[in-house]
Amino acid sequence: MISKFNLEDSFEQEFKISEDLVDGFTKLSGDKNPLHVNDIIAIQKGFKSKVIQGNLQNCFISYFIGECLPIKDVMILYQDINFKKPLYLYDVLFLKVTIIGIYESVGLIVFNFKFINQLDEVISKGKIKIKLTI
Amino acid sequence: MKRQEIFTRVSSIFREVLEDDSLNINEKEGADDIDDWDSLTHIMLIVETEKEFKIKFISSEISNWNNIGDMITAIEDKL
Repeated sequence: MISKFNLEDSFEQEFKISEDLVDGFTKLSGDKNPLHVNDIIAIQKGFKSKVIQGNLQNCFISYFIGECLPIKDVMILYQDINFKKPLYLYDVLFLKVTIIGIYESVGLIVFNFKFINQLDEVISKGKIKIKLTI
Repeated sequence: MKRQEIFTRVSSIFREVLEDDSLNINEKEGADDIDDWDSLTHIMLIVETEKEFKIKFISSEISNWNNIGDMITAIEDKL
């Protein structure tokens, strides 16, 4: 099944930062830091409005790996993320993922990823390692 | 490449992957003998070894290894 993947294969997925999504993540994580829920405080700190929890993007990675790859027999072994710019309500994120390593002997695939917003700004970037579970 | 040089480089890989600068391995040791050498770190040890020596293993080769000495022999065979 690893043959379904090739070095430099790339994938894209779009995510909209809706109120429902943000409310759901806030409830799930319990992270109600004022920066994330209060526009006035966020503006006082120099942001244009409340800053959405960056770790919401990790949920998108989970969705992408679990649901959007050519096969579903996979598990995430490693994931890192560097937050570059703030994420705001109603942003549209484009997840761009590229395969940078395939290790057939152990069924491991390594990806680089970037989340880019509607203004073509890189919001975050990182690396994912998955193992095939077949 | 001499076996001793391979061993030295493999030792560095173990220290890096297992995040233990004081780790001293020997050829007779296997996964049961080294703390933190579990199924997940095993994968990373193989990956880093393939990258370090620019070689590729196949899964059946790896499954025959009983200890670090077997690993080093497999590397030797591919260089």
